[in-house]
Amino acid sequence: MAKQEDIYGDHISHQFNDDLAGLKEDFLRMGGMVEEQVGDAIDALIDGDGHRADEIRARDKQVDRLELEIDEEATRIIARRQPAARDLRLVISVIKMVADLERIGDEAKKIAKFAVSLSQEGQAPRGYVEVRHIGSHVIQMVRDALDAFARLDSEQALRIMKADKRVDEEYQAATRTLITFMMEDPRNISRCMSVMWVLRALERVGDHACNMAEHVIFMAKGEDVRHTPVEEAEKIVGR
Amino acid sequence: MNTMNSGLANKTETPEPAVLTPQEKPMDDAGLRGKTVGTPFADNAKFTLRDVEVFYGETQAIKGISLDIAKNEVISFIGPSGCGKSTFLRCLNRMNDSIDICRVKGTLELDGQNIYDPKRDVVELRARVGMVFQKPNPFPKSIYDNVAYGPRIHGLANRKSELDEMVESSLRSAGLWNEVKDRLHMPGTGLSGGQQQRLCIARAIAVSPEVVLMDEPCSALDPIATARIEELISELSQSYTIIIVTHSMQQAARVSNRTAYFHLGHLVEVNETNKVFTSPQHDLTESYITGRFG
Amino acid sequence: MNNAMSQKEIVRKSLKRRYRKEQRFKFYGILAIVIALSALVILFADIIGKGYTGFIKTTVTLEVQLDPEVMYLEDPTDAEAFSMADFKAPLVVALENQVSDATGKTAQRALGQLLNTYAANQLRDAVKADPGIMGTTQTMTFLAHDDVSVYVKHGDDPTYTVKLSEQQQAWVDQLVEAGVIENSFNDVFFSNGDSREPANAGVLGAIVGSLLTMLVTLLLSFPIGVAAAIYLEEFAPQNKLTDFIEVNINNLAAVPSIIFGLLGLAVFINLFGMPRSVPVVGGLVLTLMTLPTIIISSRAAIKSVPPSIREAAEGIGASKMQVVLHHVLPLALPGMLTGSIIGMAQALGETAPLLLIGMVAFIVDVPDGLFDSATVLPVQIFLWAGSPELAFIERASAAIMVLLAFLISMNAIAIWLRRRLERRW
Repeated sequence: MAKQEDIYGDHISHQFNDDLAGLKEDFLRMGGMVEEQVGDAIDALIDGDGHRADEIRARDKQVDRLELEIDEEATRIIARRQPAARDLRLVISVIKMVADLERIGDEAKKIAKFAVSLSQEGQAPRGYVEVRHIGSHVIQMVRDALDAFARLDSEQALRIMKADKRVDEEYQAATRTLITFMMEDPRNISRCMSVMWVLRALERVGDHACNMAEHVIFMAKGEDVRHTPVEEAEKIVGR
Repeated sequence: MNTMNSGLANKTETPEPAVLTPQEKPMDDAGLRGKTVGTPFADNAKFTLRDVEVFYGETQAIKGISLDIAKNEVISFIGPSGCGKSTFLRCLNRMNDSIDICRVKGTLELDGQNIYDPKRDVVELRARVGMVFQKPNPFPKSIYDNVAYGPRIHGLANRKSELDEMVESSLRSAGLWNEVKDRLHMPGTGLSGGQQQRLCIARAIAVSPEVVLMDEPCSALDPIATARIEELISELSQSYTIIIVTHSMQQAARVSNRTAYFHLGHLVEVNETNKVFTSPQHDLTESYITGRFG
Repeated sequence: MNNAMSQKEIVRKSLKRRYRKEQRFKFYGILAIVIALSALVILFADIIGKGYTGFIKTTVTLEVQLDPEVMYLEDPTDAEAFSMADFKAPLVVALENQVSDATGKTAQRALGQLLNTYAANQLRDAVKADPGIMGTTQTMTFLAHDDVSVYVKHGDDPTYTVKLSEQQQAWVDQLVEAGVIENSFNDVFFSNGDSREPANAGVLGAIVGSLLTMLVTLLLSFPIGVAAAIYLEEFAPQNKLTDFIEVNINNLAAVPSIIFGLLGLAVFINLFGMPRSVPVVGGLVLTLMTLPTIIISSRAAIKSVPPSIREAAEGIGASKMQVVLHHVLPLALPGMLTGSIIGMAQALGETAPLLLIGMVAFIVDVPDGLFDSATVLPVQIFLWAGSPELAFIERASAAIMVLLAFLISMNAIAIWLRRRLERRW
């Protein structure tokens, strides 16, 4: 069950196949855009590139438009095809995951905003190591989640859920480090607060990636693993 | 297989309980025999069915099905054409008796009593297990006589007023009373298709059965009439056990508590309807309900 | 593109040919119907043309002077004198008064021949009924001799041989002119039985015989046929024996009817010692003959009852018997009745088996019971058609018309019953 090519593609109705494939494609496209935005936002922050940050905020519009498009597509499939079982789970999950993606896009916008303000202050970067570290981590999670969605890979999704735990831990550690900075030198407080917000945004991105992973497990296994402990989810995936 | 159900319904003889000679022993196929997934068993069973096999001459139509049907539940049988769901349904009130070459094997119990006991009176069984058919088939009589027929032949009413009451309450239960109360003595065949089918339901429940079998009751009706029947089914489910065979998966999804998926004479999966339509356990069920074959 | 064009071309060409074929086929069909219809028209025209005169009788109305001297009957109450009396003489005298140049014994005999053989008997019966009329003059109407009738009706038709002498023809012409000989509606034909004398022959005996025979046939064949059909269709197990019975019933329908006559002769008359020529035996034989028809048509009617109705009744818990009585039978009844009436119509027109059981005998009296000797219409037709007298030929044609009227009305009843009983709802 790890990998099945074109699991949504063998309906009697070709149109239905095309509809579902289109939905999936659009979703992955949106995912790619969002993932890129997060990466760009982090780069802009670290490089202190205010221009790029502005550009990212502008690109969010495209993501929003794609979200509306996907929602419409999903609504149409439900209305016209009355999908059942795995098709139904795909459509429902896409509707929910699209919201997650949109939120991730919003977080990227937020990071870009801080990138602009931080670049204007132009001081030595404090806490950027943590940002880069956690940033690459959550970007990987988003990428993995999209990958797991594309391949309907519930084991990978489970790995993302576990990874989220680590991100949380790292976030805690980074927070502590930044608090130390602030205590060392109160002049750092406003900057550190901004970085804290960025870290917070990245942590949220990780959470959304984790939500997406949960939906992927629902799609693959038909069991809702939200609000269930990871051990429970592990059992379900292992079935 | 479907043609066998309807086409040969002519010759009748009370069948002997089928005994199979060794060469008739069915072959196991596709590894589905007796491997029903899901929740085929229930605690408060109305029907207890174990290892049911049905043969049409040499052909085996039902290949060993075990299933409980609970009191006051609505269970739907779905599956591709020729999967044996209608045949299985007809075993439950012995409508297959009228087909000479049809033999039924296994344990079929209604409230713990064997349905196919040779001593059992099939008339009494059918009074307890009513049936509604695919095509609305009112008798060419008045609406009143259609509904009153069952109580009359079973001698359920002693007085005319009693019979009137029965007719009225049955028609009310079938949601038809308000539409026909002014023309009870008009021919039943003059009603619209949906009304005819509700008349047939009224006729079936007039003898106060415990179970109502419905064999694709909406396949000849338009969507509005179908919606009415479905509404009626959910109302009736409070007082009757309802078993419905349907080709419309959406209908099964809408009306039933449990859904059973049949495939080539096997019972592949029985589950809560929600479960079957969101995350069926068996790949065959999945393929069928998502429109991958059937 | 080119290819498609030429394909169109081919189709267009073949279309013409196809239409021509269709036209030809239609034409053949119409031709067949025209042939069948014209055969029917010719048949009817021939029968009606020959037969309508059968419904016309020729009468002679005479002023009869009942002179005791001429009749040698002084005392009508004296039985011996009565039987010796000459009742023909006053009739001849009365005729003599109407025509000129009739003198001499020979002329008188020739004149007497113009009257029906039974005219004297008619006069005798009148005197016997009321002896008081002796000595008075009575106006009475007698049937003319059939030769006179043929001459009056067909005198100018060369296909009819007129058996009257030239003098007789002249007399008849005179009498017709004087209004003594008249044509009128032949009530005798419908109120008499058979007779040696064509003018006196009627079909009433045959009609009553036919009706009695049909009554027996209907009473026996309908219940037996329907019961057999219901059993075979609803209750009989599907096995070799049933198949055998079925095949044999179908075969029986194709057996020549004369075989049934032989069977009736051997079984009912020789074995059971039933009387010959009686409607009961005729009815029994015809029952044997109609049974297969009724069984087959009844079975077809039962089969045509929609299985959904049967299922509906069974689904409610009706027993087999209730299903049959409450649902199948009422729905199949029109078909059964139609089949039966068609079977009866067949039986009504049947001659051969009845010949063998003696219903061909010459029977003058109208039968008054099932065990009274009788004949039936088709046999009567057969008898008359074989008679040498010209007047019997037209009676045979007239009887055919009566028979056809019966058959048509039976078919009409069948259609009416069907319309009435069939529930189209």
